[in-house]
Amino acid sequence: MADEEVDEVRARLEKYVGEPMGPPSVAPDPVNLPMIRHWVDALDDRNPIYDDEEVASKTRFGGIVAPPAMLQAWTMPRPKIEGIAERGGAPGEIPVDNPIPVLDAAGYVGTLATNSELEFMRYLKPGDHLHVTTEVDSISNRKTTSLGQGYFLTWITTYSTGDGEVVGRQLFRIFKFDPATIDPSKLGAAS
Amino acid sequence: MTSAQAQPLRSADVAVGDELPSFELPVTSTVIVAGAIASRDFMPAHHDAEFARAQGAPDMFMNILTTNGYVARFVSDWAGPEAMIRKIAIRLGAPAIPGQPLRFTGQIAKTSSDGNECVIEVAVRAANDLGDHATGTVIVSLPRGDGPLFV
Repeated sequence: MADEEVDEVRARLEKYVGEPMGPPSVAPDPVNLPMIRHWVDALDDRNPIYDDEEVASKTRFGGIVAPPAMLQAWTMPRPKIEGIAERGGAPGEIPVDNPIPVLDAAGYVGTLATNSELEFMRYLKPGDHLHVTTEVDSISNRKTTSLGQGYFLTWITTYSTGDGEVVGRQLFRIFKFDPATIDPSKLGAAS
Repeated sequence: MTSAQAQPLRSADVAVGDELPSFELPVTSTVIVAGAIASRDFMPAHHDAEFARAQGAPDMFMNILTTNGYVARFVSDWAGPEAMIRKIAIRLGAPAIPGQPLRFTGQIAKTSSDGNECVIEVAVRAANDLGDHATGTVIVSLPRGDGPLFV
């Protein structure tokens, strides 16, 4: 089902492969207990290493640590709520020079998240302050799938502490598609 | 509600093919919104049903950070407080929407050792009546403690 030839849109995307998706950023706040408690209450996660210092200090972690899946939450940009970009749905600024606006402009405006791979080198502790960089890993040729025509775009986000220690990584893949060719009931997993 | 177990899991208790205790999450608008805001994801599709429907989704739907959070919780509820999750790799499918409970199941796919750590690979699935919401692999390690390493 793959269209293996490099079409004109794909050719224009080549220059982004291996390049940053946007500027590096720093988490608005260091890892902290109030946000950890907010998360464990929201998900009803009662692992004591996240909020019970007495228990956590006796584990291999030696004290309270953040839930690993919070990795991306620490570096989410501070949102602009009112009007959420005039109801287009983007709560923050989108870097202009990356493959997504190119695909949008070419008519591939739909977005479906397909894969997430989180890797944790260690659990974060209160006070860790994350720095984040994101790089385009790969862009497929145009594919025709059961969901429609589009391109798979994969990027890798690297999370490190201020002194350069890499503490986590996320591979993320989306399918950017032309909505004219998709079954709308399958749109739900888009993010 | 399941909770982190009092007795830490030990490598001797783990064998390939074993199933994790399954878990059913009653997905409501509240569950979806609570996860979205705790993960600081303000995209309207995760808190505004009307907006989500206008985009073609059946209802507001769970964001991926929350899905990863529940997958992690599902595994660490079983593996206990000494477990360290090293990797969560999932393929995303059907949306998690209000009124569609998510059923989490898992099976031990592989075991190995890394230094003094017992490494366990769990095949996980979170599904609802629409299909598979997330399928993939969680890799978790346990300190060897006084138990055996995997061979």
